[in-house]
Amino acid sequence: MSLNHLPASSCRTEGCTLTGALSVTTQIRDAITVVHGPPGCTHHNFSLLHATSVENDRVELPPLISSGLSETEVIFGGEGALDRILDRAISCNPAAIFVLSTCIVETIGDDVAAVCDAKAGVPVIMIPTAGFLGGSFQTGVNNALVALAGMAEPSLGMNGGVNIIGEKNLEYEVDENFAEVARLLSLLGLSVNTRFVHNLTYGQIDSVGAARLNVLRDPALIPVGEYLKEHFKTPYISGFPLGLSGTITFLESVGAACGIDPRQAIEKERGFEQDTLSDFADIAGREISFSTLFPTHDGERVLRNIAYAFRLDVIPSGKPVPVPVTPPVGIAGVRRMLHRWRRAIHA
Amino acid sequence: MKQIALYGKGGIGKSTTSANLSAALSLSGYNVLQIGCDPKRDSTRMLMQGRLIPTVMDLVRERGAASVTPADVVYTGFNGIRCVEAGGPEPGVGCAGRGIIATFQLLEKFGTLTGDVIVYDVLGDVVCGGFAMPMREGYAQEVYLVTSGELMSLYAANNICKAVQRLSARPRSMCRLAGVICNAKNLPREEELVAEFARRVNSHLLQYIPRDRTVQLAELDRKTVLEYEPSSEQAQRYRDLAARVMENTRFTIPTPLEIDELESLARQFV
Repeated sequence: MSLNHLPASSCRTEGCTLTGALSVTTQIRDAITVVHGPPGCTHHNFSLLHATSVENDRVELPPLISSGLSETEVIFGGEGALDRILDRAISCNPAAIFVLSTCIVETIGDDVAAVCDAKAGVPVIMIPTAGFLGGSFQTGVNNALVALAGMAEPSLGMNGGVNIIGEKNLEYEVDENFAEVARLLSLLGLSVNTRFVHNLTYGQIDSVGAARLNVLRDPALIPVGEYLKEHFKTPYISGFPLGLSGTITFLESVGAACGIDPRQAIEKERGFEQDTLSDFADIAGREISFSTLFPTHDGERVLRNIAYAFRLDVIPSGKPVPVPVTPPVGIAGVRRMLHRWRRAIHA
Repeated sequence: MKQIALYGKGGIGKSTTSANLSAALSLSGYNVLQIGCDPKRDSTRMLMQGRLIPTVMDLVRERGAASVTPADVVYTGFNGIRCVEAGGPEPGVGCAGRGIIATFQLLEKFGTLTGDVIVYDVLGDVVCGGFAMPMREGYAQEVYLVTSGELMSLYAANNICKAVQRLSARPRSMCRLAGVICNAKNLPREEELVAEFARRVNSHLLQYIPRDRTVQLAELDRKTVLEYEPSSEQAQRYRDLAARVMENTRFTIPTPLEIDELESLARQFV
């Protein structure tokens, strides 16, 4: 029996396991994701995923269909409905099919894995995603990434690149944050191997084992990092660089993990940091307050450090400035946030 | 309209008791509807000359709920008794409890739930919310426990007391324990034991029905005892049961026992 702790907050990282897994599987553009459950479980996620991609300037629809269960299937069992929708999915010739379960099918005891196993000719990958079993959004992300990594061929040789693992595909700055990490890696002479998983084809997941290092989006992905380490012997860095000091630490950690002397890269980045401090010198000494509650403790620490570096006083009566859902990634992320703060301060 | 539900351990004789009770009530002039609430669907068989009637869930599965009509689900059996079988999914798949809920909603919509007495014959144990449906608001207000003097049978009856207790605590719930029917295995001191059990759970023994070969013979002949051998002693016991059910006014909120209380009770009557 699983224990579901009350969510500490209503932020999306506390949400549904199914949504978390979908934020990964729908990034495999030539695969189809089947949600085995009532149509609403698919529809609401379809809307969320589509709205988010449009926001990130991608207009294609998420490759997502539902087995469309009604009360009849709940009573008599939904395996037949799953079998039929899988045949329909197969007839579209996808590179792979992901099958995600929902609360109701886990309750009535459909043997989803058995129905998936009976299909041949195309990989059918089942990911358990019933939210009521106590998992969060993050559990869904992790389960999906591990399931995908399990499908990758371990035989490819090393190529010297770095994987980006578990990007937050539903965050608006997903591409900006990726670009910032890629920029920092390039300072060390490193290139990106695979964005695992962001806008890939199914065939591209094989390359996940070829990297010399995995950079996780955040420490909640450590189980995925461990899985990849075990299967492909790839070491990992447990999070993206957050804030100013986090950026320097990141360069040091990546350098250490890859055996690269980071001093030149750090020196260059310190220069960028100095430029940024002078670019925003006009807001020094101003009083600010954070406009929303922080989803995480770490987030607040990072933002207070940034405020300190730019000589901003955080006091309750200060000008409210917008707080991002996740702390800014790299110095580029800090700059984007400071632009918004400056606008709020001058408002 | 009187609505009663019979609950008890699987195989204890709920369907036999229900069918004979319905037959006796019907012969006393009451308009009776018997509803089998068990995917095994054999509740009304003795009232239908051994025929397994199509179940509500079979019809829904084959035709879809929209094309099932009231005439499709109600079958008239012995002495005009109307018979309905809820049915359910194939063994091992789906959700039988939800099937019971869907059946009740359909019967409600059809206006089938009418007559002088409705007898709900429910699956062995109240395994989930769906099987408590007959006890809910608007359905059976009187729950009868069918049990023998065997410990496991008393244990199941005690568990059903927990369900009745829980449901009767709800604000508008009218569901009460109406009594215990001892369908005996002819164990020594069995009637005393079941009577004492009934008293301990804050109820009463309504009828003692000894094990009798007439029941088996009637079933082999696909009939209730009332039809097969109306002059038998066993038939009279079912008539007595029917009379007591109609006269009964002792409806209580049960006080279920702890397992060790139940065991020591059973030990007293060995």
